[in-house]
Amino acid sequence: MPLNALAAKAIRWWLGLVVSCCALFAAAPATAADGPKASPGDAVADYWREVRQGVPGLSQVTGAERGVLINARGETWRQQRNGPLKRYGGMVLLAMLGIIVLFYLVKGPMKLSEPPTGRKIQRFTPFERFVHWGTAITFILMGLTGLAILFGRTVLGPLIGSGGLGGLLALGKLVHNYLGPVFLAFTILLIFAFLRDNVWQKCDSEWIAKAGGMFSSGGHIPSGRFNFGEKTWFWLGVTFLGLFVAGTGLLLNFPALIDRTRDLMQNLVLLHAIGAVLLLTMSFGHIYMGTVGVQGALESMKTGEVDETWAREHHELWYDDVKAGRSGRP
Amino acid sequence: MARMKFLCDAERCIECNACVTACKNEHEVQWGVNRRRVVTINDGEPTEKSLSVACMHCTDAPCSAVCPVDCFYTTEDGVVLHNKDACIGCGYCLFACPFGAPQFPQDGAFGERGKMDKCTFCGGGPEEDNSPAERAKYGRNRLAEGKLPLCAEMCSTKALLAGDANEVADIFRERVVARGSNRGAWGQNLQFNPLGSGKG
Repeated sequence: MPLNALAAKAIRWWLGLVVSCCALFAAAPATAADGPKASPGDAVADYWREVRQGVPGLSQVTGAERGVLINARGETWRQQRNGPLKRYGGMVLLAMLGIIVLFYLVKGPMKLSEPPTGRKIQRFTPFERFVHWGTAITFILMGLTGLAILFGRTVLGPLIGSGGLGGLLALGKLVHNYLGPVFLAFTILLIFAFLRDNVWQKCDSEWIAKAGGMFSSGGHIPSGRFNFGEKTWFWLGVTFLGLFVAGTGLLLNFPALIDRTRDLMQNLVLLHAIGAVLLLTMSFGHIYMGTVGVQGALESMKTGEVDETWAREHHELWYDDVKAGRSGRP
Repeated sequence: MARMKFLCDAERCIECNACVTACKNEHEVQWGVNRRRVVTINDGEPTEKSLSVACMHCTDAPCSAVCPVDCFYTTEDGVVLHNKDACIGCGYCLFACPFGAPQFPQDGAFGERGKMDKCTFCGGGPEEDNSPAERAKYGRNRLAEGKLPLCAEMCSTKALLAGDANEVADIFRERVVARGSNRGAWGQNLQFNPLGSGKG
């Protein structure tokens, strides 16, 4: 199996995206600073313009950016965070919740069409379950505390006031900052635990063509150990967004150990929040499918075992493979 | 009711840093934190200018707008203060502030940020005026004693002015008349002022 090659490819892909995203944001203030040029020799106007553009002077007070008189980007950052980020981020999250509720009301949970056989087969190893639940628990705590930092003032502020928010978020910040590296470690373990099951298989094209059988009645599409929906969550959600959010979060952590400029921190906060909102949105779908959406899905991750009927109805190719004495892995 | 303002006259500031020292001493500010700093632009060149800068007590303060716990408030005098009991030390106020005013003591493991500290316009905090609790968290409350900020009070060249905006403007206006130009004030764009362009 080209396992190493795949992993290396995934890492290069992710790094490339992070770097290009950062470059995109870094380019914005540079263009904003190119104001109208002064008439030559107007030195006084020149230095005031430099002050406005954040050109550093000299200060006896030491520390990051102590020589910068004005950082005009702060107000832009405030507008971006309090404006589009909160507005569209909130809308995307609420819309996803609404879609899931609507889907549940219209289609209901996916139940087995035949009675369970009572014969169990192993779907997840204890290590896989440990890594999954480790990631899941840290992810939920990170998600809740992160949402509280972005939306807490708007949603909870009127109820518990500034003092209540302060108490709640003092704890929330500790949890968020200390669990972040733990989440990153679990995410990396999770990627390696499930990497070889999430490679492309021929049956995936049929799954895509029929949209996973989501809108057809009773149309089951045979799939391997994981279907294409699960693979999308693995690559786009866990691997790309998970590493992106955890990576930007790690760079935001440890404020006093490394001196970073305000511009970098502003960009990182925005990228981190955008990534986190998208990851949370995707996670709603995964959590729905893993709990109430699919009968028996939660049991499989709790016990590691599934009924043969479940295996045949949800992952037929994997079931056939396992019954034939093979690993069931692609 | 007064509207408090700082104004630093770049024509007068001699970069003595006494405002920085006086502030730190008056409020017994934490180790590693300076509420005020002096910045020199074009150091060593003919156009060298120095300015003393701290919290400018914005009317629409970005720090207050981005605070996740809403711990900022503006007094009747237009002074922007904050409640250290609610502050969680996230640093967002520093990211948003144009002047780099909010400062954080290094507090706890892994260089974690402590509770934010910044210039209070010598106006203390939410606690009872000049109570020991207020004194410990925010320093002395000179406004409650009927006094103005110490940095400006003791400025030897009177470059740094602090007080009611109208009073400060009147003093600076006299200087403008005497100089024949308005050069020196914060953000004056002398490109549009023939009197001030590069002369004197």
